[in-house]
Amino acid sequence: MTAVLEMRGIGKAFNAVAALDAVDFDCRAGEVHVICGENGAGKSTLMKVLGGSYRPDAGEVLLDGKSVRFLHPREARAAGISIVHQELSLLPFRTVAENIFTGMEPTRWGLLDRPRMQDRARALLQRLGSAIRPDALVADLSIAEQQLVEIAKAMLVDAKVLVMDEPTAALDDRDARSLLDLVLRMKAEGVAIIYISHRMPEVMAIADRVTVLKDGRRVWTRDRADVTVNAIVTAMVGRELQDFYPARSPTAPGSPVLEVRGGGNAQLRDIDFVARAGEIVGVAGLEDSRKSVLAQALFGDAPFTAGQVRIDGQPARLRSPREAAAVGIGYLPGDRKREGIAPRQSVRDNALLTLQAMAPVLSSPQGGARSRPEVDQSLNDMDVRAGDFGQEIATLSGGNQQKAIIARWLMQEPRVFVFVEPTRGIDVAAKAAIYETMRALANSGRAIVMVSSDLPEIIGVSDRILVMHQGRIAGELPAGAEEGAVMRLALGVAAATVAGEMAS
Amino acid sequence: MSVDTLSSGRTRRGFRDLPVPLVVIALAAFIYVTAALATGQANQISLTGLSGLLQRTVALGLVGLGQTFAILVGSIDLSVAALISTVAVLASYLMQGDAGMIVPAILACLVLALVVGVINGGLVACWGINPLIATLSTGLILQGALAAGFTYLGGRVAPEFQALAYQAPFGVPLPVLLLAVLAIVAWFVLAKTRFGAHLYAVGGNPDGAKLAGLRVERFVLAAHVIASLGACVAGLYLAARLQSGTPWIGRDGVYDLESIAIVVIGGTALSGGKGGVLGTLAGVLLFASLDASFNMFGVDAFLKQVLRGAIVIAAVAVYAVRNKGHVA
Repeated sequence: MTAVLEMRGIGKAFNAVAALDAVDFDCRAGEVHVICGENGAGKSTLMKVLGGSYRPDAGEVLLDGKSVRFLHPREARAAGISIVHQELSLLPFRTVAENIFTGMEPTRWGLLDRPRMQDRARALLQRLGSAIRPDALVADLSIAEQQLVEIAKAMLVDAKVLVMDEPTAALDDRDARSLLDLVLRMKAEGVAIIYISHRMPEVMAIADRVTVLKDGRRVWTRDRADVTVNAIVTAMVGRELQDFYPARSPTAPGSPVLEVRGGGNAQLRDIDFVARAGEIVGVAGLEDSRKSVLAQALFGDAPFTAGQVRIDGQPARLRSPREAAAVGIGYLPGDRKREGIAPRQSVRDNALLTLQAMAPVLSSPQGGARSRPEVDQSLNDMDVRAGDFGQEIATLSGGNQQKAIIARWLMQEPRVFVFVEPTRGIDVAAKAAIYETMRALANSGRAIVMVSSDLPEIIGVSDRILVMHQGRIAGELPAGAEEGAVMRLALGVAAATVAGEMAS
Repeated sequence: MSVDTLSSGRTRRGFRDLPVPLVVIALAAFIYVTAALATGQANQISLTGLSGLLQRTVALGLVGLGQTFAILVGSIDLSVAALISTVAVLASYLMQGDAGMIVPAILACLVLALVVGVINGGLVACWGINPLIATLSTGLILQGALAAGFTYLGGRVAPEFQALAYQAPFGVPLPVLLLAVLAIVAWFVLAKTRFGAHLYAVGGNPDGAKLAGLRVERFVLAAHVIASLGACVAGLYLAARLQSGTPWIGRDGVYDLESIAIVVIGGTALSGGKGGVLGTLAGVLLFASLDASFNMFGVDAFLKQVLRGAIVIAAVAVYAVRNKGHVA
């Protein structure tokens, strides 16, 4: 079978940063070709080149063996390349039929031919196995149905190549399964399908071939038969999974840095724990376990109303974030965009934020005695990668933003760091860097409290694991505990009952 | 919301199903009739009274029609008031009471509006300047040029041109007919043509529209040209009605902000992609009924402004509630 689509040596750079570097890719008729890669690997850029949104700096695109060059998405669409976009591109207040025909409305004597739009839309949706009415408003459809409309829109032109960019990301399992059936049906019709996904079971179920991208380069392309999940993950990450978490400190933890005795407030009860110097204490729990409330309590955002907190043996009052920062607690919020950064300010200003906040009102805006080289030094120590620390922090990757926030606290020299979901929305390579940073902070004699919903992360990084359930600490587990053990505590199932069930 | 009820198409959504224009028109009629009855001026509910009411809607209605297009594509036009003044002054300056100059003067005004519209659209669509800033600036430039160029009242329109504003074939004032015809044309364009469908697509989701193959910039530009043409026709009407144009005619009428207000009252979303000219007509009718009612009651103009503001806020609040649950 010959390739319908061939992309040869595609290169694309943004501001001298290579997003794609000599990528070769092809797709045959009646084939599902899956592209895998972590965030920023270049998947979406490659598809935008294919779809005519970006012009490549190097390389060529061949469609049916002929070289093509798209200057606008409309040209790619006319040539038979249809893209189902990751973000829905629908018009909520227009009907299904109007949405499907956006930009290609049929006309009769110069006027919109609405009956024909309705009929063809209905036929298209039927072909996709759906009974959505063409005159329904898109806003009234479920997300799964909207996704179907999006696909119908892509199928309107007789697509030779259909690109689906994480189409199941917003769907639940049942809808995702019917979408996969649909993909297989279109494959049987001879469409060349390029499918981008993070969900490994899905990839293994529908792929004919798999290509892995990493840092804008192609790692390999293999037939489904020669591929395992582990091989894909290894190629995406560029290392074996077991090397992923940093080695624990060889020395025993030191004296207690943070002690909480009988802590409680409206949502928390009987919080008793100690975090020692050089130790990472993981706090696990389900969504409703109020583990993030514990983090807020430690940082004075939802203060304890009962109990005692000691830092380095001294009683500490944590009634506001300002007090918490003053007694040496650093905080990395879970919602980075909303609570962590001032997106339009420079990296440097973001790093200075806490210092400025804690400085006397009438001190210089540079944060008192701190000079600019010192801030830059602190950012460099954290290995924040930015072309210039004067640029807006929003332009950095999530991992680098996270490191800049840590740098902000480092200058305050906190004794305790509270990390909330430190790697949420960060790609795999940056995750490893954050873990190493956390370990280094601990090794320098600080205590780290890491609140996380990511179970492998909790188990891989923590020296001890506290598991929360309904506002209390349900139990404590040692480093490297079993996922099952954490989950049982988190679910509030007493160890004895589980043992009993296992026995019976 | 369960999938079953939805896949059967439109579901009953209570008051959300009522078309906005109907509700607003009903409200306008209620206010007007109540005021007429309460003040014992039942004669206001006659053909003459009503045509007087409609006459009040013309200038703002014409601007509003154009503004609807700008807002539908997700932009906005703050330069309309200055353009109205400029057109009115230019028309009377060129005519100087000479009937032979009527057609050239109108053509010149249309060309001016075209140029202003292209500049507005170009700034917004091609240069990516925020429409508030771009159109505010073009408006300031027009107003400034006007102040510099016409320190004294320069001329008057031709009597024949002025007569147009006062004719009433079949008892309907000619300007009202003009507004009706232009409104029908605008409705037709938006509802029945590809161009209209594309305007909705561009306003509703510019990125999506681009990926669907539309040249987004052209539609934004076109919408701005239409907005300027609406202001131009309004300016010509005002010049005819008042015999001559003055450099503050647009500013005094607050046509920029009020045109936006009636468009919003009519249910057109400021974010674009939703609404239409029928709502705008209903909005202008509501404002006109309000004016007329206050005149009947003899209440002073400040209270009228307060009530207008309250109505805009109420309308926006109601639409926010109606749209709750929508994924947009």
